[in-house]
Amino acid sequence: MSRRNGSAGAAQGGGEGEIDLTPMLDVVFIMLIFFIVTSSFIKEPGVEITKTEALSTSACERGTIIFAVTALGDIYYDKKEISLDSARRLAEAAKKESPKANFVIQADVDSPTSVVDKLYTILKPVMEGVPLCASTEEAG
Amino acid sequence: MRKRNKNADADQAEIDLTPMLDVVFIMLIFFIVVASFLKEAGIEVNRPDKSQSDPSDATSIVVTITGDDQVWMEGRRIDIRAVRANVAKLLASDPEQAFVVRTEPGATSRTLIEVGDAAREAGVASVNWPEEAKK
Repeated sequence: MSRRNGSAGAAQGGGEGEIDLTPMLDVVFIMLIFFIVTSSFIKEPGVEITKTEALSTSACERGTIIFAVTALGDIYYDKKEISLDSARRLAEAAKKESPKANFVIQADVDSPTSVVDKLYTILKPVMEGVPLCASTEEAG
Repeated sequence: MRKRNKNADADQAEIDLTPMLDVVFIMLIFFIVVASFLKEAGIEVNRPDKSQSDPSDATSIVVTITGDDQVWMEGRRIDIRAVRANVAKLLASDPEQAFVVRTEPGATSRTLIEVGDAAREAGVASVNWPEEAKK
């Protein structure tokens, strides 16, 4: 029925029944490509972290490689608990995968600085001089 | 004859774009969601190279966090809320001074980040956190 209507319309009026989707498709494709290019895939540490509140918080530029340190001093990356030894290997792999990405540490309020310190020492050679971004909560 | 030809042409030339459009829209929505909702914010902490000279020289502001989360500055213990004012006071005399926060094993990240935050609020260029001394 509808088909017959459509073909009849096409035969009679031509442009009336059909909407030209091409311009919308162009726009949608451009948006799609834009979002594909700008998106960066983040592997979330997958643990609940209570972040410290800070006033001078700024956005972590391209901070997409995220390590988390829990209150007990365990290190998490990509939803798995990892050891300090494997952190280096994982960091190198992540940096190789996305060379422009920077590192972020989500440190729990009660996490020992000694663990964060050791992790930072391990990450430092991979970071190419970019400061580490310590994830915080916006105060207020 | 002519009419039939035209009809056949029209059937051949038109491709149904609807399924592709569905896929493209789903991809678009996926990438929009992925792009906008994961933004990490925090404070930047710098680590001086080992080869650099000892930062604890007279030209830098040094704050030490002891193993029991006490904050020490210029040889006296200060409250964490007083860090900002103290750092601002020292910066006033020499705005180019480097800021160094030292931690001892046992300190917690809360204190470290709060001290770093206070120093940034006071206007230091960067928060330097040298490697912890091994015990």
